[in-house]
Amino acid sequence: MSSGLASDEVAEDYKNSLEDLTLNSRYEISNLTVIAKENTEHAMAISRVLENHIRTAPPNRKLPALYVLDSVVKNVGTPYTLFLGRNLYQTFMNAYTLVDNQIRKKLDEMLKTWKEPVPGSMDTRPVFPVEITRSIENALIKAKTAAVQQQHQQAKAQQEILHRGRSTATPPMHWRNTPTPPQSSTPFALPYGAHASGVRSGNNSNHNNNNNNNNSNGVTPSYGNHKQYPQQYPPTPLSQPGPYQQPTQTPDTLDTLNNDIANLIDVARAEFATNLYDQGVQTRLKALLDLQSILRSQKLPPEQIKLIRDQVAQLSLSSKPTPIPAPPVIKAPEPPQPPAPQPNGQQLGASLQSLFSSNALAELLASTARAQQKPTPPPVQSAFSTPQPQLPFAQPQVAAAPVPPVATENPLVASLRAAGLLPPANVLSTATPPALPLNPAVFPMPPIAPPTIPLMGTPPTQSATPARAALAEIENDVEMTTASLKIPRPKLISTLYEAQPSQCTSCGRRFPTTEEGRNKKARHLDWHFRVNQRLVDVVKRGQNRSWYLDEMEWINYKENDEGLNDTNSNGTAAAGSAEATSAKSKKDLKNQYIAAPSDPALANVSCPICQERFETVWHDGAQEWVWMDAVRVGGRTYHASCFAEATKDGRGGTPARDATPEPVLGKRKAEDGDLNALRARIKKENIP
Amino acid sequence: MALPGLNLSAATEIAAPVVHEIQKDSEWRFEVAFGSNVEVKLLSGTAEIFGTELAPNQTYTFSGAKAAIYTWHGCRIQVSGTCQVEYTAEETPMVSYANVHFALEKLRRQAAIDGREGPRVMVVGPDNAGKTSLIRTLTGYAAKTGGQPLVVNMDSREGMLGIPGSLTAAAFGTLMDVEEGWGSSPTSGPSPMPVKMPVVYFFGLPSPESNSAMYKSVTTRMALAVTERFSRDVASKETGCFIDTPGILSQGKNNYDILHHIATEFSVNVLLVLGSERLHSDMLRRFDGHRASTDEPISVIKLLKSGGVVDRDEAYMRHMRQTQIREYFFGDNKSTLSPHTQQVDFSQVTIYKIVEPSTILTSLLPGGDEDNDTEPSRGGFHGPPIFEKVEPSLSMQYSILAVTHVAPNSPHEDIRDSSLMGFVYVAEVDEQRKKLRILAPVSGRIPNKALVWGTWPEGFADLVG
Repeated sequence: MSSGLASDEVAEDYKNSLEDLTLNSRYEISNLTVIAKENTEHAMAISRVLENHIRTAPPNRKLPALYVLDSVVKNVGTPYTLFLGRNLYQTFMNAYTLVDNQIRKKLDEMLKTWKEPVPGSMDTRPVFPVEITRSIENALIKAKTAAVQQQHQQAKAQQEILHRGRSTATPPMHWRNTPTPPQSSTPFALPYGAHASGVRSGNNSNHNNNNNNNNSNGVTPSYGNHKQYPQQYPPTPLSQPGPYQQPTQTPDTLDTLNNDIANLIDVARAEFATNLYDQGVQTRLKALLDLQSILRSQKLPPEQIKLIRDQVAQLSLSSKPTPIPAPPVIKAPEPPQPPAPQPNGQQLGASLQSLFSSNALAELLASTARAQQKPTPPPVQSAFSTPQPQLPFAQPQVAAAPVPPVATENPLVASLRAAGLLPPANVLSTATPPALPLNPAVFPMPPIAPPTIPLMGTPPTQSATPARAALAEIENDVEMTTASLKIPRPKLISTLYEAQPSQCTSCGRRFPTTEEGRNKKARHLDWHFRVNQRLVDVVKRGQNRSWYLDEMEWINYKENDEGLNDTNSNGTAAAGSAEATSAKSKKDLKNQYIAAPSDPALANVSCPICQERFETVWHDGAQEWVWMDAVRVGGRTYHASCFAEATKDGRGGTPARDATPEPVLGKRKAEDGDLNALRARIKKENIP
Repeated sequence: MALPGLNLSAATEIAAPVVHEIQKDSEWRFEVAFGSNVEVKLLSGTAEIFGTELAPNQTYTFSGAKAAIYTWHGCRIQVSGTCQVEYTAEETPMVSYANVHFALEKLRRQAAIDGREGPRVMVVGPDNAGKTSLIRTLTGYAAKTGGQPLVVNMDSREGMLGIPGSLTAAAFGTLMDVEEGWGSSPTSGPSPMPVKMPVVYFFGLPSPESNSAMYKSVTTRMALAVTERFSRDVASKETGCFIDTPGILSQGKNNYDILHHIATEFSVNVLLVLGSERLHSDMLRRFDGHRASTDEPISVIKLLKSGGVVDRDEAYMRHMRQTQIREYFFGDNKSTLSPHTQQVDFSQVTIYKIVEPSTILTSLLPGGDEDNDTEPSRGGFHGPPIFEKVEPSLSMQYSILAVTHVAPNSPHEDIRDSSLMGFVYVAEVDEQRKKLRILAPVSGRIPNKALVWGTWPEGFADLVG
């Protein structure tokens, strides 16, 4: 791929290559990755082509294409991450809906890796920003639990109204198609409106806006809500079956927790407002509301409260960057519009509206209102000067009563329970709203699995040989005597295992959880990656046993831990007359040859660019053994084609390569540095 | 993994897999015949094979293996395929083996402080006592602890990173291949396991007694290389080395002087005696209280032989040798190698045959380790010729020739002491046309070096079809 081409051409080429990608071929995928890497200046065009291809490809070809995307974002990183991230939700979901379950599994796997840092990268940030992956994940969770949610009869009816056939369980919002906003007419809509103010403002300002937009809008709303929550609490017990204010709970703790949760709810709402495609956020909302109601209805020991609080605190910490954009004041909402006739931009808004009104919370409230035998008397509400009602928080758990088995239990609640934070299911089942599929993973930050958190044990000291360091800390009383050797010492054994908790999943090698251990592991994974890539390539070419090292070479041999300096292992350079490199076309390059060195030491030399050995063949014309496609430059032997490729823009096209944007996110791997160094070296040697 | 999920489809079903639950501190011993495969997968817990840990949920394939999976914490493994023998044993000497490692670690730490070499450990014991397994275990632990021990194989009956007949040393600082013993030497292609780079010498006889003078010379040379390596490789220096010895040296007092020679040359300061009380007391008498040349005291430690050690009959050993040779040229099931066949004129090669000091034909018989007490070492006195230059002949067909690093007409001592480039196989000798058909690992002309023809390993008729 020459850098001088116009984006269109590059895109066209890329498109064609993509169309040839029918199978899950690592070779082709890595090839396409390399092309993408070499053409970062056309990243936008390539990203577009790739997205289009994934969209239009027949289902059985979607997976390889998505692997290309995956490979590109992981190996090249920015700017592809930015371009592809924009429409990732559509790209991914579109493919997901069309493929069969097996492929879906793989897509799930892939999505999982997107939430983690690139293996081998020094960068700890995930492949894609959390917001993007989270939205997809939420949608998937939603989709998966759709079946469960179908217990709501109205859902079906609503689905038809909802465009895009969302399987959202939608409540029977009687106001749905009326232009009048519900808030003012129904008591339970009020709280909804109040809390959802962020959403509405999102609606008003920009339907397509993203989270960044939110960032720029002050924090006021969350603030406002924040303050109001405490006010809400007092009346709540009126409608509560069980008082939440337990003497055992320090109000301080509980309040903080409640505030945090309230905050989170607001944040989630705001997010929901701006991620219209993201039905998942709403499930999160529901879960938060659940949590809140559980907290208020259950009597929990303080330490459990504390644990929950800590988790929530972490959550709220993580969500602070996206505060709610709009003030909590209820303002005249814009009339919801029927979805169908909307042009694109507005459709989003409409869908927001409909989605929003279909929000399970609202539904919950609605059904609660219906089901509840002793609803909070309206007077209580009217007693409050603000429209901010206490109702939603007071009621969900009551509403939930009629619903399904534990199987549909909210996973968050389940996980809390599993962790011993909540009482057993039977106590709670009535408090758990139906079918609220909230995967714990939806929350990116809680201690569930941030990649950097130690998995077992605590790291030993920072040391070059961690196990040795760990060993130093434990008393090593083993003597070289038969008696001493017979005593079992589990503590010492642990230096071989637990002291190095971070294990490579493909080979079992262990690393400590220290900074250095992490770096080592990153390099180690990188090594796996490179080897695997080369293993794929090498199948086509023959390989053979190498000659052993000479004694002196062995004595001076530096073991490189897993080929960390793979690229510069070719120290010995073949001296010899330089062969002219005038040949231009590839064919000529392939026909270029040099005499195979008779010195076996030199015969082991491999091309510094591709790391492959030269193939020795008998050349009839020259009547000798030769290396085809080889060229000697500056005392080094290269594959002529590799050399031409590597130096192509070393002479004229340098600016283009220099124009390649530096990775902003640092996603490129360490290997890249080597490559660049190599390139630089080649260039230097090349300039006469 | 660049492409997540690609591995998922790779799962192959053989037979109905069996899940074994192994209690902590016990091991699952198994034997797999040549030609049949057994796949083992660690489902939960931790497990190790000779000191090298298994990765969870990875499939390991064994063929022609006699091995044991040990667990310190308890584990569940899934096994598919048929083992010849399989059982779980609770009594193992692993606690003491691991303790040896920790004791060595102490020595290493002290050595690092003093700026000395780490412990030089020699393992002695009769055949089939588990010497190599012990060294693999200790090497695995040392590597896991961040060390980089040099492993020296002085047993020409079994190859390490080479074929039988060779004596090898290599640094093992990285993960070992649990499926393949010591793994294999580097190839031109990438290796899924970290590459181990050996230095190889040739002793083309099965037993040191056959030519103790030559064996001692090669030992000296090897020790020199290892010592030299220590002086330039800090990681290895701190960790020290493990020396594997031929079982025959531990079976009869006559050979103790060869053991003594090895111990002296390598400045051995830890002597591990496996599975023989008598040998232990003999070794105590010889070494205890002595000091290595570095002035460190020599510890002589007796270790129990593992109950899992099985006698490997000659048929098995022969099969193993042939497998090693085949893998040297053709690779294993993980990577296929393409050796190179070519015709060469008799005049193009210079072949030396090892001159045998006596007619100890019995020792060349397969499995002849018990029945060859004839004429042991003769005091190291031999006539000057170490080799004799030979014309290729039919008797050379199907043998292995060692390719040295020295020129064809070098002095015999140089040829003897030279490390090897590798091996070639004589596929055919055409005495009429004076041509040899040679199988070489690397394409290109056969290096113009001195070739050495030993009697070991024995000919292998069907290597090339």
